[in-house]
Amino acid sequence: MTALLVFLGLLALILLNVPIAVAICAVALVGMVASKGVFGLYNAALSMFDGATSFPLIAIPLFILAGALMNTGGISRRLIAFVSALIGFVRGGLAMVNVGVSLFFAEISGSAVADVAAIGSVLIPAMKARRYKATMAAAVTSSSASLAIIIPPSIPMILYGALADTSIVQLFVAGVLPGLLGGFAMLCLCHWLAVRYDLPREAAFSLARLWAAFKGAAWALLLPVIILGGIFGGIVTATEGAGLAVVAALVIGAFVYRELELRQFYQALIEGVTQTSVVMLLVATSAVLGLYLTEIELPQSLARAITEATSSKILVLLMLNLLLLVLGMFLHGAAAIILVVPIVLPLVHAVGIDPVHFGIILTLNLAIGQQTPPVASVLVTACSIAKTDIWDATKANLPFILVLLALLLLVTYVPFVPMTLVEIFYR
Amino acid sequence: MQRASAVLHRLLEGITVALLVSLALVVISAVVARYVFNSSFHWYDEVASVMLAWLTYYGAALAALRRSHLGFSGLVLGLPRAARVPAFLAAEAVVYAVFLSLAYAGWYVLRVMAGETLVSLDWVPLQVTQAVVPIGCLLFVLAQGLSTPEAWRRLLAGHDAEALEIEAEIARARAEAPDRGSTA
Repeated sequence: MTALLVFLGLLALILLNVPIAVAICAVALVGMVASKGVFGLYNAALSMFDGATSFPLIAIPLFILAGALMNTGGISRRLIAFVSALIGFVRGGLAMVNVGVSLFFAEISGSAVADVAAIGSVLIPAMKARRYKATMAAAVTSSSASLAIIIPPSIPMILYGALADTSIVQLFVAGVLPGLLGGFAMLCLCHWLAVRYDLPREAAFSLARLWAAFKGAAWALLLPVIILGGIFGGIVTATEGAGLAVVAALVIGAFVYRELELRQFYQALIEGVTQTSVVMLLVATSAVLGLYLTEIELPQSLARAITEATSSKILVLLMLNLLLLVLGMFLHGAAAIILVVPIVLPLVHAVGIDPVHFGIILTLNLAIGQQTPPVASVLVTACSIAKTDIWDATKANLPFILVLLALLLLVTYVPFVPMTLVEIFYR
Repeated sequence: MQRASAVLHRLLEGITVALLVSLALVVISAVVARYVFNSSFHWYDEVASVMLAWLTYYGAALAALRRSHLGFSGLVLGLPRAARVPAFLAAEAVVYAVFLSLAYAGWYVLRVMAGETLVSLDWVPLQVTQAVVPIGCLLFVLAQGLSTPEAWRRLLAGHDAEALEIEAEIARARAEAPDRGSTA
């Protein structure tokens, strides 16, 4: 009964357009005051502070800062030039460049919207000029940017890792293989669509051009190598790797490429701070809700009820996937993670799903959620650059969403795919 | 009111950017200290975590001023104009109720914490680090109040905050990519 009231209260407040972080807190406060009087309120204030003091989450603002530096420091443009020289000569090359660049780059900054804006504002007009339909340009940009959130470093994974008390490094490693597989599938899909619609090739392959573009982008390409190498090699933690990313992006943007402008950088900093705080306020208020839910033992009773009904891992995974897909349509990624993880984690443990495996499933579901209206900020951004209708773009996006869904099934039911590298290196 | 809002905006921007930059410096210098000078700061984890909490609350007020907190406006914007008004007022009331009660509770907790300090730095009172909760909550209330007229105008015009944000983001990216299209 209490659980139902919590759910209905939360739903009502969210539908009323109360900010989700505030809605979470309001429901928890009412519950805690009802059960403990004014002491519930004091406990809430304490856990609001403790909830925001999580060391692993420091990686979030730092990666956002690094991404902002990369966006303003001329790094993204050089990556685009390099990937163009590498695969642009294939039929449908520009669409494939889009996928390739997204995989390298997107979501480092934590805001897929900022990344889609950065990459899309260069590549979408270029694609339109080369006879690609606006809807396809928007679809490719949007879905490949979303796929990139499972490739490390990934803000949703950091968030999940901190909430689920799971190794962020292992989550990063687990995302590598599915991310590459999905990227490869998207490249194939772009090529197939290009052959079908007779889309052009870009400049013929030239070793000299590739070398020139490589020299331009070498520092930018070195960036993920340094950061991920440091994190995977166990030299630094994910948080410190994020710190390194900031230094590397700053040095490259300011001293190597010399394109970093202070005013743009300051603006980017403010955007980064805002994005971080939006996510962190959700984390802080969810600590209050978490406290209350634990008091009424909701996650535990949910896990018990479901495991009594079925002990099949396959079925539980299917239910979790459906829940996440529906939530992803209506909620932003960070909000969905924060609402779902504390509630379903006991269930995940009870049926014996590896929390790292579940983290990848969760992240991939959210990637798909970014593509499905009504709440699909990444797609909306791409459509707004391409000046096309969101529903028309969704039609063009269907094959890409299918690729993501197929990848989701593979990752869910063939744990070998995400977990092999983790097993080899960490267990 | 607009002037007050601009002043608060500048103030919160300054505080949060300073916090973010110092947080980055703390993390980076800890890495350098460990690998270059082979020594570690014993206060590093605790201080960095507190800085994140401060960033959270001052930044949350900034985000409130810009009305950037994540929400779902689909239903309210779909309502007829007459019904949007009570929905808007109710949502605002919930925000004030939550943050005013948290500000009170945060202030009460501060009094209880008298005499306690951080574990790693025993000269830093918890009252200083935790003061961010009542201060941040009050700033949030102030920011919410100052941004109400703008939010009200947007609501009546049927504008979605997120759509406006996306437009701003694209404008920013375009300004930074003057040579767009040159890769084709």
